[in-house]
Amino acid sequence: MEVKILSARFDIENANRIDVARQHGAYQTLDTLFAMEQADVIETVKASGLRGRGGAGFPTGVKWGFLPKDTGKPVYLAVNADESEPATFKDRYILVRDPHALIEGIIICSYAIGCHDSYIYIRGEYTSQVKILQQAIDEAYAEGYLGDRVAGRNFRLDVTVHRGAGAYVCGEETALLESIEGKKGQPRSKPPFPAVVGLFGCPTIINNVQSIASLPFIITNGADAYKAYGTEKSCGTHLFGISGHVEKPGMYELPLGLPLAEVIETVAGGVWKGRRLKGVIPGGSSTPVLTPDEVATVTLDYESMAAHKTMFGSGGIVVLDETVDMVKLVENLIAFYHHESCGQCTPCREGLGWMLKIVRRLLAGEGTVADIKLLRELCDNIEMKTVCVLSAACTMPVRSYLDKFRDEFEAYAIDGAPEQTELREG
Amino acid sequence: MAEMVKLFVNGQEVEVEAGKNLIDALQVVGIEIPHFCYHPALGADGNCRMCLVGIEDGRPPLVPACKTPAQPGMKVLLEDEKIKKIQRDIMELELINHPVDCPVCDQAGECTLQDYYMSYSQQDSRMNVEQVHKDKRLDFGCGVVHDQERCVLCARCVRFTRQITKTGELGIVNRSDQARVTIFPGRPLANRYALNIVDICPVGAMTSKDFRFRQRVWFLQKDPGICHGCSTGCNIYIDHHREKYGDDVIYRFRARTNLQVNGYFICDAGRLSYKTENENRQDRTLVDGVEVPLERGIEAALDKLNRARKPLMLVSPDSTLEQLWAIKRIATLYGAVLSGYSDAYVLAGDGDDYLISDDKAANRAGLQLLDIDSGKESFAAALADADLLVNFNNDLFFSPGNEDLQEALEATDQVSVCSHDRPAFSRATVILPCASYSEYGGSIVNRNNVLQRFARAVCRDADPCDIIEITRLLGGAISDNARAWPGLRQSVPALSRIWPERIPVEGVTLNSSEETHVGA
Ligand SMILES: Cc1cc2nc3c(=O)[nH]c(=O)nc-3n(C[C@H](O)[C@H](O)[C@H](O)COP(=O)(O)O)c2cc1C
Ligand code: SF4
Ligand code: SF4
Ligand code: SF4
Ligand code: FES
Repeated sequence: MEVKILSARFDIENANRIDVARQHGAYQTLDTLFAMEQADVIETVKASGLRGRGGAGFPTGVKWGFLPKDTGKPVYLAVNADESEPATFKDRYILVRDPHALIEGIIICSYAIGCHDSYIYIRGEYTSQVKILQQAIDEAYAEGYLGDRVAGRNFRLDVTVHRGAGAYVCGEETALLESIEGKKGQPRSKPPFPAVVGLFGCPTIINNVQSIASLPFIITNGADAYKAYGTEKSCGTHLFGISGHVEKPGMYELPLGLPLAEVIETVAGGVWKGRRLKGVIPGGSSTPVLTPDEVATVTLDYESMAAHKTMFGSGGIVVLDETVDMVKLVENLIAFYHHESCGQCTPCREGLGWMLKIVRRLLAGEGTVADIKLLRELCDNIEMKTVCVLSAACTMPVRSYLDKFRDEFEAYAIDGAPEQTELREG
Repeated sequence: MAEMVKLFVNGQEVEVEAGKNLIDALQVVGIEIPHFCYHPALGADGNCRMCLVGIEDGRPPLVPACKTPAQPGMKVLLEDEKIKKIQRDIMELELINHPVDCPVCDQAGECTLQDYYMSYSQQDSRMNVEQVHKDKRLDFGCGVVHDQERCVLCARCVRFTRQITKTGELGIVNRSDQARVTIFPGRPLANRYALNIVDICPVGAMTSKDFRFRQRVWFLQKDPGICHGCSTGCNIYIDHHREKYGDDVIYRFRARTNLQVNGYFICDAGRLSYKTENENRQDRTLVDGVEVPLERGIEAALDKLNRARKPLMLVSPDSTLEQLWAIKRIATLYGAVLSGYSDAYVLAGDGDDYLISDDKAANRAGLQLLDIDSGKESFAAALADADLLVNFNNDLFFSPGNEDLQEALEATDQVSVCSHDRPAFSRATVILPCASYSEYGGSIVNRNNVLQRFARAVCRDADPCDIIEITRLLGGAISDNARAWPGLRQSVPALSRIWPERIPVEGVTLNSSEETHVGA
């Protein structure tokens, strides 16, 4: 099932070094690229069907097309390497194992959108990763792929790495921009969208690491070669980080459209220890959970996920076995989003803390059925009333657990906290 | 005229100014959209979410009104169950961690949270878990005291220090429900407008050290007035109250919006200048240091005036046009030299490029309009020559610089008509108390030639006379403001077409090149 397009160089030793990477094809797109018109690059990316791999799945070429023309202002590219969504660990593979694919992608995107100053915003905790990335950038400068004359062409491109300081919310694209500008990382309210008013008030494109790293293959091989993978509407491949209660957790590149159950079974080796499946988080902690029945019917593509009222988001698949206490899981989940709320807008700032305390009340055996109802209602009251969707990243999954595993919450409310048993092993 | 657009609110067609945000646009036609963080002087921030309104067929269907410009044909939903529920929900979330200590909160009675609870919520608390606790009674400097628990984090105060004073002392630190307004360690508020924060804070999170716990606001009578702290003439509210068995006392000044004069704010010195109205007042009539009834004081003054061969009259640059006119008339009556010398009111370099001006006089432009000589040399010469100085409330020692006049002043017999007990007046053999600006009404002209009117606000027990009344008692013909105007119109070209009762609340700019036309 696995394919190796993005991950082609992942298993090659020292592919993070420019010599090795070049021996295996890095930077070979550039001749093709500079022979193309900028608009053709955008058209090719549109035609490839590539959609944003940061979670929301917005078509990449279409997003580039939103840039206003001839504003007289510089255009910026900000690459989102904040990768902080729990269960997500795909971008780090690119950053560490094939940073030159990212740099090559940045050159492609920058050329297409007319950007000469690009930023990579990398999560603060990626301390070893940032060193490898910076080393690769330094190599690219030294070899003339970045700087005043990219690959000898009359095209300047500078790439600056900006480290975050440990805030999940800075992965939200406008908080990311605020953070680069040296301000507190708080999302801006939109409109205006960053394509029009972005970094330092200028038109800006923000793309995920994987979205950008997917570009060299598309430009080298053409849109059709990319579309050969995946389904008609969910084109190409995706890096899926499979974790949780499976025999073979890990990072796998898969074409979109595969049945989730089969992926868990054959790629990840199935639920570990012969246990029964309880549910699957399909794409990072913010995506609504799937029950075993749903897992049996869903496929890893945008449409099927939407039909199941969830998303494959950032590709972080978490398999939950029968021992998982869903109430504790929800507590863990809300604790994360509460802690990461920027605190700017009222519903998210005040509401997530309240939700957390309610779940803790339940866990302590002091909650009531009314508390569960209140928790469910708060999800509705908060969601989509806020400046950014961080709050929804919490309420959407919480709602799904409350609806799909209601009995577990009620057990806490009616029977109190169960005897402490060792629920997790290994 | 601004461009107008027609749109629908709850199905009703209204016509509003194009491009204005929905909060401001609809307010003009009497439709309130609740909001905490939006402030017209600070713009939209979008953090409180209280202003969410529905837009029928809109994408998205729910928008913050503060960030949404009025557009033609737009269908705004406010009186809608869904929107009302959102308002209730936001209020619930604003309140879950709020102390609701209204009984000891200075803001109670003028608190947006209280008002909105009554208008948009009235929901019982569902909070059955521990509230978030934060710090209280934080001294932020400049007399501003902060309560982090009452704060709704609307960031108005933070934006004020960034956008208006550009001093940036305040910030919001921490995330989620730990977010709080604070100062940098050891770097308190340090600007001359800081107390405006207390005005713009929608709740009791920013209180004034000066006003804290001194009066419940619902007892205060809130009258409009004009600050006499400098020649800008900022519009204020004079909040005063007569306690049972007590006197009428001013508790605070607050900024009153006048986009033509001061915008939304006033300076701290002006705000605190209310104290001068309460304190150190000259309420007693004195003749040779002995307290006498006013009539006796007037008799003594008349006696001196009638006997004086070379009387000199000094007016104050704070006096109203009407008062100046009345004094000018009696100066003519007694053949007195008239001077408006008042250099002491100018503190060179004290002003800034915002509201504060160097000139601390409220009506210097009025002196000029009435052609009253204000030169020092002519005053000094007249003083040396005079055998009687009648000083109408001009504080010659407001600031240093007039020490050289001491000798001549000591050598001249003086009648002081004054509102305050100050060294400039105390040497007089006859002291006649008069009202201060919170106790009379009249017209003044600010440094930008804006003619403004104000009315009497305070009635203290002592009830000193308006200077106009003193002039009448001294034999003048002008007995009140109205009677001054025919003369003013006739002799001052810039005022020839002004009818004071028709001056709009925001004042009128006197144009020297053409006649200013008000009403008629
Ligand atoms: C709270 C929050 C956190 C996010 N974190 C990330 C992140 O870590 N990495 C990322 O690529 N996108 C993240 N996103 C999505 C970005 O806002 C943005 O949509 C994305 O970077 C766009 O790139 P793409 O179109 O290539 O997917 C986050 C969004 C939200 C609301
Ligand atoms: S939803 Fe949460 S994270 Fe997003 S802006 Fe509001 S408070 Fe900040
Ligand atoms: S801020 Fe308003 S609601 Fe809060 S305690 Fe004060 S008066 Fe009451
Ligand atoms: S102190 Fe007042 S003005 Fe400042 S953020 Fe809090 S509620 Fe808003
Ligand atoms: S007034 Fe619009 S969000 Fe606060």
